[in-house]
Amino acid sequence: MPGSQSSDHEEETGEREFRANGNSMKTAEVEAKLDEGNIQEAESSLREGLSLNFEEARALLGRLEYQRGNVEGALRVFEGIDLQAAIQRFQPPLGDKTSKRGRSRTESMHSVPQHSANLVLEAIYLKAKSLQKLGRLTEAAGECKSVLDAVEKIFQNGIPDLQVDGRLQETVRQAVELLPELLKQAGSHDEAIATYRRALLSQWSLDNDCCARIQKNFAVFLLYSGVEAAAPSLSVQIDGSYIPRNNLEEAILLLMILIRKYALGKIKWDPSVMEHLTFALSLCSQTSVLARQLEEVMPGTFNRIDRWIALALCHSGALENKEALNLLRKALHDNERPNDLMALLLAAKICSEDPLLAAEGVSYARRALTITSEEHFKGVALRVLGLCLGKQAKVSSSDYERSSLQLEALKSLEEAINFEFNNPDLLLELAVQYAEHRNVHAALRYAKQFIDATGGSILKGWRLLALILSSQKRYSEAQVVIDAALDETAKWEQGPLLRMKAKLKIFQSLPMDAIETYRYLLALVQAQRKSFGPVKANHQVDDDKVNEFEVWLGLANLYSNLSHWKDVEVCLEKALSLRQFSAATLHTEGNICIILLGAMYEGQGLAKEALAAYANAVLLDPNYVPCKILLGALLLKMGPQALPVARNVLSDALRLEPTNRNAWYYLGMVHRDDGRNGDAAECFQAASMLEESEPIESFSSVL
Amino acid sequence: MSTPSNSHPSSPTTSPTSPCVDSTSSPTTPAPPPPTITATTTTEAATTSSPTKAQAALESLTSLLPTPVSSLSPTSPPPPAFLLLTSPEISSQISTLLRQPSSGSGDNHLCRWLYDTFHSSDPSLQLIVLRFIPLISGLYLTRVTQHHHRQPLAGFEAILLALYAHETTARNNQPITVTVPDLSHPSIYHESSSPQRNNSTDLNIAVISHSLEPHGTVRSTRRARIVGVALELFFSKIWIMPLESKLDFCEFLEQWSGHQKDGDNNDEDKSGDDEEGKILLPWELLGPCLRILGHCLLGGDTEKEVLLHEKAFRACKSLYYRAMHDVNPKAILAAGSLLKLVKMEKDSKVDEVDYTEIRSSRVISI
Repeated sequence: MPGSQSSDHEEETGEREFRANGNSMKTAEVEAKLDEGNIQEAESSLREGLSLNFEEARALLGRLEYQRGNVEGALRVFEGIDLQAAIQRFQPPLGDKTSKRGRSRTESMHSVPQHSANLVLEAIYLKAKSLQKLGRLTEAAGECKSVLDAVEKIFQNGIPDLQVDGRLQETVRQAVELLPELLKQAGSHDEAIATYRRALLSQWSLDNDCCARIQKNFAVFLLYSGVEAAAPSLSVQIDGSYIPRNNLEEAILLLMILIRKYALGKIKWDPSVMEHLTFALSLCSQTSVLARQLEEVMPGTFNRIDRWIALALCHSGALENKEALNLLRKALHDNERPNDLMALLLAAKICSEDPLLAAEGVSYARRALTITSEEHFKGVALRVLGLCLGKQAKVSSSDYERSSLQLEALKSLEEAINFEFNNPDLLLELAVQYAEHRNVHAALRYAKQFIDATGGSILKGWRLLALILSSQKRYSEAQVVIDAALDETAKWEQGPLLRMKAKLKIFQSLPMDAIETYRYLLALVQAQRKSFGPVKANHQVDDDKVNEFEVWLGLANLYSNLSHWKDVEVCLEKALSLRQFSAATLHTEGNICIILLGAMYEGQGLAKEALAAYANAVLLDPNYVPCKILLGALLLKMGPQALPVARNVLSDALRLEPTNRNAWYYLGMVHRDDGRNGDAAECFQAASMLEESEPIESFSSVL
Repeated sequence: MSTPSNSHPSSPTTSPTSPCVDSTSSPTTPAPPPPTITATTTTEAATTSSPTKAQAALESLTSLLPTPVSSLSPTSPPPPAFLLLTSPEISSQISTLLRQPSSGSGDNHLCRWLYDTFHSSDPSLQLIVLRFIPLISGLYLTRVTQHHHRQPLAGFEAILLALYAHETTARNNQPITVTVPDLSHPSIYHESSSPQRNNSTDLNIAVISHSLEPHGTVRSTRRARIVGVALELFFSKIWIMPLESKLDFCEFLEQWSGHQKDGDNNDEDKSGDDEEGKILLPWELLGPCLRILGHCLLGGDTEKEVLLHEKAFRACKSLYYRAMHDVNPKAILAAGSLLKLVKMEKDSKVDEVDYTEIRSSRVISI
C-alpha cells in the first residue's frame, strides 16, 4: 500500500494530508467544506484530487471526521455509503465455496481487491466506534459484528498472514476486542459471553497481548458479572479436553492459562491476574491449588516475603499447617520481616494448636502484642497468646511451671475479652479454660454467653454447657440442655449430642435408656444410608453427617460399662469393618478400639491379652491419658512386682492431665499396696475432691 | 439463640401452599421435598410474566403500603412485575416497612405478601422477593442475636425457608461443585504439551455449596446455611437487581463484619460499639457474601455506581479486618485480593490504554 509505511517516519506535527494512488492532498480545504456541511462537495474534490471511487472517498472523509473528533459528522459520511453492498462484492461467489477449499489460498485471494476490502471494513469499524461514542451501543455492536461476519465471509479460509497488510489485521483485532465490550455495555450479556468465546476459539490470528487481554476481560466478566454463562456449544468440544461447565471453572481456566503464558515469557506480567485467581480459588476453598500457581510464577515477580506470606495463607487455608509454618518462619526471620503482624498472628495461631509448638507460638504472639497499636489487633494477639500458653502448660514438666502458665493463659484471655467482649471464639476458649480449672461459676457464665453470642448456632456451646453441668452432677439440667440443643439441630448432625445424652443416662444409672438412645442413633444411621447411600470417603461432606463408626464405638463403650462383653465384641467388629486405619487416624480412632478391646479381654479375665492391647495403644500415642490409666489399673492388679511400673504410668497420666480423678485414685491404690499410707491418703483426697467436679467427658473434647 | 416457639413460622404454616414439612420427628423417613413448589431455574425477563398474576400481586401489595402509589394504572405501559421490581416509590415503602422493629413477625402482612409472592411460582414475581433478600437477611441475622430487644422473626424465617425449599427442589440432592482445571490436560482454550491424559482422575473437585436437606423450620445450627442459600439465589439474579438492593447488602455486610470505624481513624472511646450487629461468619454464609461483594466491587460500571462502589469498598475493608481478626486464611486471601484489585483498578485508570481506539495519524490513506 503506497504511503502507509512512510507516513510513520514523517513528523507528527505537520499538516494533515490525504494520500492515495501516488498523489497527496492537504486536508484543510476538504475540512472547510465539511464544516460548511457540504459532504458531497468534499467528496467530489477528494475523488478528483486522488482519483478515488465513491466508497474510497467516503471512507477517507469519515476517517478524517473521526480523527477530528467529530463523530456525528463521521457518522453522516459513513451513512452515505452502502457498506453491506460493498461487502457482498468482496465475497467469493456462493457456488465457489466448496470448490475453493482444495485450492491454495493465494489463488482465492487474488480475486479480492485487498485494499478496498480493508478500507470498507475499517469504515464500518469506525462507524461502530462513532456510534459507541454517541452512546448508541446496540447499533454500535451491530456494526462491529458485521465487520467480523464480513471478515469470516471474505476470508473463508482464514486471514492469510503473509499477504494481508498490518492494517487489515489491526482492524480485525480491534473489532474482535471491541465487540464483547459493546455488548456488555449494551446489556446483552449472553451475546457478550458468546462473543468472547468466538473471539478466543476462532482463528483471528490475534497477537499474544491482545488474546491475553480478551482472556482476562472474559475471566473478569465471568467472575463478577453474576451472569451465569451457558456451557460452550458442542461444536468447540474436542474429545478428551477439559470443558468448563460454569463461570468459576471457565474463569479459573482462563486465568491459569494467562499465568502459564507469562511463565513461558509470551506476555508481560499483569498483577491483577493473580489477584483474580486468588479470589476465585479461595471461593472454591482450593488454596492448595493457588499455592501451586504462586509457585509457578517466575522468581522476581513478587516480593519474596509477600510471596512466602501468601503461600503460608494458602497452605494454612488448605489445613497444611506444617508447610505454612515453615514459610512463616522464613518470613519472620530477623533479616526478613520480623514484625509482620499478619504473619505473626497466623504463626501464633498455628502454633497454638500443637503443644510442642506452643512455646514458639508464645513468642510470636508476644511480638505481635508489642508491635500493634490498634486495639482490635491487641485483642487478637492476647487471645492467641492465651491459647499458646494454655497448650504449653499441657506439656510442661513441672507442676510449678504448669500452674503458672495456666494462670498466665487465663490472664491473657481475660485481657483479650476487654478488647472484644463479644468474640464468640474467645468466650468458648475462656469457658473451657475455666472449666478445666474447675472454676465452674466462671465457666458456666462464659458458656452461656457463648450460646447467646452465637444465637445457639454452634453445637460446641451446647455440649460444653451440658458437660459443665454434668461435672456438678446436675444431670437432669444437662439433659435439658442437650434436649434444647437437639431442637436446634438437623437430624444428621445430632450424633454427638445423642451420644452425650446416652452417657448422661449411664451416669444417672439408667442403662436401658442409654441403650434406647443408641437404638435411635442406629436408626438415624440407617435413614442416612437410605438417603445418601453409603457415606463416601469424601472428607468435605463428612462433618454434618452422623458418624457411624463413632456410634458403634460409643455403644461398645456402653456395653463395656455394663460388662456385656459379647455385645462389646459385636459392636467393635461393626466399627472396625467401617474403617481402614491410616497412620493419621490410627492413633486417635484406632486407639479407642484397641483400648475397648483391652477392656473386653480384661472383663473376660484375659489379663495378658488386655495388657498387650493397652501397651500397643500407649505405643501408638504416648500422650493418651485414658489408656495410661487403664494400663496402670491393670498393672495394679498384677501383683507387687508390677507396682513400680503402675506408679510410673499413672504419674505420667497425671502430668498430662492433673485433674484426672481416676489417675489419682489408682495412684492412691498403688501407694497403699506399696505401704505408703500417707501418700495414698493424699491421692485419695485429691480423687474425692475431683470427683465432685468430674464431667462425663473431658472439657477439651468439645474444641 | 431463638427459643423453639420463636423459630417456627406461625402464620405462613396456615397457608394452603405451605412448604413447611417437619423433618425432625422420624429418623427413618427423611422428609420429602416440599410438594407444592415447581423448580423454575430459568428466569425470563421481568416483562414476560403473566400479567394477571402480577396485577393481583401489585394490587394486594398496594393495600399494605401506607401511601398510595402514584404511578399505578392498570393499563400503564410498564408491566406490573417490572414496575414492582424497579419502582423506587414502591421499593422504598417496602424497605421502610421491613425495617420497622416488629416487621419480622409471623402475622406481618408484608412478610405474608412476600411469602405468597415467592410461591406464585412466577419467575418474574420471585425476582421481587429476591430483591429484598439482602435487607431481610440483614435484619434477620442482626436481630436474631440481639437479646436485649428480642423481636419476632417467624415472618422473615418463613420467607427464607420458602427460598431454601425452592432451591432444595431445584438442586435435587446435588451439590454445586467446581472441577478445578489442571493445565496438564488440554482444554477448549489451550493445548497440553504433556502427552499423558489420565482423564479427570487427578482433577480437584471443590464443593461450592453442599446438597440441601429439606428443613421445615429454622434450627439455629442451620440458620447460616439457610440464609446463605437465599444469598446464593440472590447472587444468581444479581445482574437484574436494582442498585438499592445491593446497597442494602453492603450495609449489612459491613455490620456483620464488625468494624465500622475507619481504619485510620483512631477514636478509642467505645471499643465495644463496633461490635453491635457483628455476627459469626461461617463459610456457608461468607462464601455467597464474597461473591456478591465481588460483583458490587468489580462487576458493574464503577463510574455509574459510585455510591455502591464506595459502600462495597467499606464493607470489603471491614471484612478484611474481620478475617485478620479471626485469623481466617481463606477469607484473608479472598477479601485481600478484592481490595488489591480495587486499588489496581484505580491506579490503572490514570494511564489506561484503549486498544480499540485507532491510531491518529497525520496522513490519511487507503
